[in-house]
Amino acid sequence: MSAVSQDGVVLGVRDLAVDFRVDRSAMAPAVRGISFDIPADCTVALVGESGSGKSVTALAILGLLPANASVRPGAAISYLGRDLLSMPGRELQALRGKGISMVFQEPMSSLNPVFTVGFQLCEVLTAHLGLSSSAARDRAIELLQEVGIPEPGAKIDAYPFQLSGGQQQRAMIAMAIACEPQLLIADEPTTALDVTVQKQILELLAALQKKRRMSMLFITHDLAVVGEIADAIVVMRDGQIREQGTARDIFESPRDPYTKALLACRPQLASRPIRLPVISDFLDREPARPEDVPQRSRGVKGDEEIILEARHLSKSFYSREGWFGQREFKAVRNASFSLPRGKTLGLVGESGSGKSTLGLLLVRLHEATGGEVWFEGRNLFATPRNALLEVKRRIQIVFQNPYASLNPRFTAGQILVEPMRIHGIGAGERERRRLACELLERVGLPAAGFFKYPHEFSGGQRQRIAIARCLTMKPDVLICDESVSALDVSIQAQLLNLLQELQDEYRMSYLFISHDLAVVKYMADQVLVMSEGEIVEAAGSDEIYSSPRHPYTKKLLGSMPRGWTHGAGPAA
Amino acid sequence: MTAYVLRRVLQFVPTLLGVVLLVFFLFNLVGGDPAYLLAGKISNPEQIENIRRQLGTDQPYHVQFWIFLKQIATCDFGVSWATNEKVSAIFATRLGPSLTLLVPMLLISTVLSMAAAMLVAYLRGSLTDRAIMIACTVGQSISILAYIIVFQYVLAYQLGWFPVQGWGHGFTENLLRYSALPVLVGVVVTLAPDIRLYRSFFLEEIGQDYVRTARAKGMGEARTMGVHVLRNAAIPILTNVMIQLPGLLAGAFLVERFFSIPGIGREVILAVERSDFPLIKAVTVYVAIATMVVNLATDLLYKALDPRVQLK
Amino acid sequence: MMPGAMTAGGSAAGRSPGLWSMAWQRFCGDRVGLASGVVVALYFVLALAAGLGWVAADWSRETGVSYAAPGFGASPGGAVVPGTVQAGAGAADDSGIQDPLAADLAELRQGLASLPAAAPRSATLPLGGDKWGRDVLQKTIKGMQTSVLVGLAAAFLAAFIGTLFGAQAGYFGGRTDAFFNWLYSVFTSIPYLLLILAIAAVLNQKGTATVVLILGLTGWTGIFRLVRAEYMKHKVREYVQAADAIGASDLSRMYRHILPNVSHVVLVQLSLHVVLFIKSEVILSFLGFGVGVETVSWGSMINEAQSELLNGRWWQLAAATTAMAVLVTAFSLLTDALRDALDPRLG
Repeated sequence: MSAVSQDGVVLGVRDLAVDFRVDRSAMAPAVRGISFDIPADCTVALVGESGSGKSVTALAILGLLPANASVRPGAAISYLGRDLLSMPGRELQALRGKGISMVFQEPMSSLNPVFTVGFQLCEVLTAHLGLSSSAARDRAIELLQEVGIPEPGAKIDAYPFQLSGGQQQRAMIAMAIACEPQLLIADEPTTALDVTVQKQILELLAALQKKRRMSMLFITHDLAVVGEIADAIVVMRDGQIREQGTARDIFESPRDPYTKALLACRPQLASRPIRLPVISDFLDREPARPEDVPQRSRGVKGDEEIILEARHLSKSFYSREGWFGQREFKAVRNASFSLPRGKTLGLVGESGSGKSTLGLLLVRLHEATGGEVWFEGRNLFATPRNALLEVKRRIQIVFQNPYASLNPRFTAGQILVEPMRIHGIGAGERERRRLACELLERVGLPAAGFFKYPHEFSGGQRQRIAIARCLTMKPDVLICDESVSALDVSIQAQLLNLLQELQDEYRMSYLFISHDLAVVKYMADQVLVMSEGEIVEAAGSDEIYSSPRHPYTKKLLGSMPRGWTHGAGPAA
Repeated sequence: MTAYVLRRVLQFVPTLLGVVLLVFFLFNLVGGDPAYLLAGKISNPEQIENIRRQLGTDQPYHVQFWIFLKQIATCDFGVSWATNEKVSAIFATRLGPSLTLLVPMLLISTVLSMAAAMLVAYLRGSLTDRAIMIACTVGQSISILAYIIVFQYVLAYQLGWFPVQGWGHGFTENLLRYSALPVLVGVVVTLAPDIRLYRSFFLEEIGQDYVRTARAKGMGEARTMGVHVLRNAAIPILTNVMIQLPGLLAGAFLVERFFSIPGIGREVILAVERSDFPLIKAVTVYVAIATMVVNLATDLLYKALDPRVQLK
Repeated sequence: MMPGAMTAGGSAAGRSPGLWSMAWQRFCGDRVGLASGVVVALYFVLALAAGLGWVAADWSRETGVSYAAPGFGASPGGAVVPGTVQAGAGAADDSGIQDPLAADLAELRQGLASLPAAAPRSATLPLGGDKWGRDVLQKTIKGMQTSVLVGLAAAFLAAFIGTLFGAQAGYFGGRTDAFFNWLYSVFTSIPYLLLILAIAAVLNQKGTATVVLILGLTGWTGIFRLVRAEYMKHKVREYVQAADAIGASDLSRMYRHILPNVSHVVLVQLSLHVVLFIKSEVILSFLGFGVGVETVSWGSMINEAQSELLNGRWWQLAAATTAMAVLVTAFSLLTDALRDALDPRLG
């Protein structure tokens, strides 16, 4: 039932159901009859994983659904007493950007690339408020000032590509609030941004909401982000609402097992269970209380065998500039670290910090510009080509994007058999196929998947295939380059559990690269923090989170979404 | 910017050298001895030797190549083998008619096809869109020869609306009287493929996120299409028009030939028919240079149209 | 490792659909595409039959009167008797002067007599006749054989060169790329038709093979540019990096991993170029730089038709133009359907 009373409601959604046309005969439901209210001067968070229908709901409110989508009859969306679904097109158009406005996920592509920020901002002001062009420009500068863009007088004439990601999103927000809307819809406004920028944008949105006393519908997949700003929360899954209530209710006493699972399966800074809880744990039965779960201790003693060591590793990229000059971009500067056998080295940093480049240097997908990598007492960069194949086999990598890392024209079986054939593993094709099937089962896929193509698997399953591909070669070192970042939290937990089990079983060493501090804390024994190509801090995993020394590490940790902070919530 | 242009101009040199090598290879090595072609069927060895000496083809290849390079450097390709007219003079007199024909044709067809493409892209999926698309597909499948022959026969010969062919002396007369039908044919022929291509450019832009943003801001369809989408789609369209330019100059030969317009295209056909090598060589090299200059101009235009582009 | 090795994996039945079979299913759901595919297939079968001499083998026989009108009605052996119209058949001179060519003529006459040409010429033919009374229908079929042959052969040649060069340039980059780019810029600096005409002028030697070579050797640039861009894009994709990480060789990555993923681009381009080359061949033959005089082509038919039209004899022009328009329309629609079906943007 709706968490707020009927009075003072800005937007009421009743029985909204949206179908997408798949082909001539088939329709697929995206939203299956949801109802919720957005009260005045209030932030409602719509939370769900991918495919839950949360963004479709937002587009339906604004009447911006794509042509192949249709709202089922019987639904109603009332905005201050007027039904948006039956409103004539012109009236709805006049309302968009004035009464209800929206901020999208990707600020770069959501801004028109060939017009200046000022042009796009003034356009709203002249269209809805009828301001003259000079008045609109003055107002636009004020708005840019208000959303915290430095030098608004100069930035107003900048093109979107000349702004940073955070500034682009601020410009989008300026456009959205330009006409003092009653309702601001923010669709994953911080997902594409780095954690430090995310924090700033969240603070900006929360401040604007308070100051202007508007309502906000905040759509996100991340419950932790919501805790700080939402008054009420609606949890969606598969087009249906699983649970809705005040933020306090949802965080402190969730009733729906799915909500409980969402809250529990994300790694927390405070605890490190041997195994992360996953959704099925909650749906089937009541899981063990967090306090009772056995915990894992992390760290290195210092006497472990070092399997991989990087010394003064650096990598520069060159781009042409000026007459005949070159500009050097130092992606990795003088990085040194060592990886003990059977342990996990976490590598955190924001986008552009060089963390992925560092991973690619180790598997020799990029040639380093300087430094050495020692693997079992052998300098990799001085290894002759013919001996390199054997070394290559033993250092493997799992990439970020499960949709791009498998060849779409190979079956899962072909993907697994190929490396075995290259390295002469297994006595013959028969043996290799048997090994491949075993490995598929080991990573939690049916052996029947052998004959299936990647597009028939979900993102999480594809990532399992990618892991199995590495396992065929029995590597000693596995580099996980944001390997779980593209996945929903519930799937993420399953994969983290799998990776941990495999490490325990095969005693592999991991270099775990991620932008997600909580995930790294859960997985890593030691952590490296990277910024602008440099390793700024290296320490044991527990140490670095309890007592960070470098200012950048402190800033990173300070920017982490806190989750529910108004009481003794599960996130401390 | 200056550095960029200068570097690009320097890059002309290897490309031009390649073109020169290709042309030299074709005409001096593959093409066989032009003396036989010139002397005709009935000739004696003495005459052939004479012609060879005049043409310089009795020289070793490196000397011939040197002569060719000198011709390019001085823009002096000698005289036409067929008419003994100076090659440079031929070009100077043929450029005017070609441009009189091509400029109006290009302008009209670009404006028309852009407007039509925007309309069908906006109506994508509708009956109108499908009807126009099918009409375009059929339209571009009919040979250009059929268009010319039928238009000339029906509109000029039978109905007498236009002169059947010919070229006058005054610019206005040429533009309004003699160019009218050739321009019409040119526009009709280019319209169908251009609409199809530009429609795909528009569709590409309509699918972008910023279009959704414009709608979410409350912009009307006219403004969304006419300002936001058009400004972005204009970038590939105008570059496409620019890139076509040098090809058109020589490519309009069919129209020029049918309507007896003394342009460069017709001159090329005549030269090919008469194996008039100096003329073909010259036109190939000239057009290659024009192409490179136009390509550079296209990139500069691109930079002007798209603020994201940085010239490096 | 094992360059060009065929697909690995199991041979068990009941395998799941790959991208190709899914594309095929999508294509089968496209009625327009399917219908145009059938039309194109019919043309190909007819072209093959003509090539094997099953149909239109005697297209050069003069079966009708000069400029026989299109239609079926008139019975053979009507008003017109062979030899009375055709000057070419007027060998019946009985002057007493010893003709130096008498022997030849006698032979010729014998040859003529042995031919069934003695059969009376008909006043109408299904699609009319040309100046010499040859059947326009048979000429059109024979001309189609030429066009289809030239279009397909030249397109395959261009696609092969374009793909090979594009793969090398896009994959290896650096100096290899610079070299192929130079070659590309040389060929594209000269407008396509001018280059064709220049080569035609130099070769000065007509024939189907020459036309195929001219079109193929000049037409690879567009395919090269696209394939090169695709290779540059795919080279840095994670699945190719993963192949590198497992130790797959350059050749294996180029042709076993990347090529199947860009082959849809090549296929669509191949299809587009068939259309382009058919059109180009018609223009070349029209201008007289195309196939030889002993071969019939739609281009040469249109050339003849140009003067016929002035006398109101439209059928040869109509036949050649319509036959070509139908083929090219069907091929274009087929290309569109292919592009839609092969679109790799899957979930």
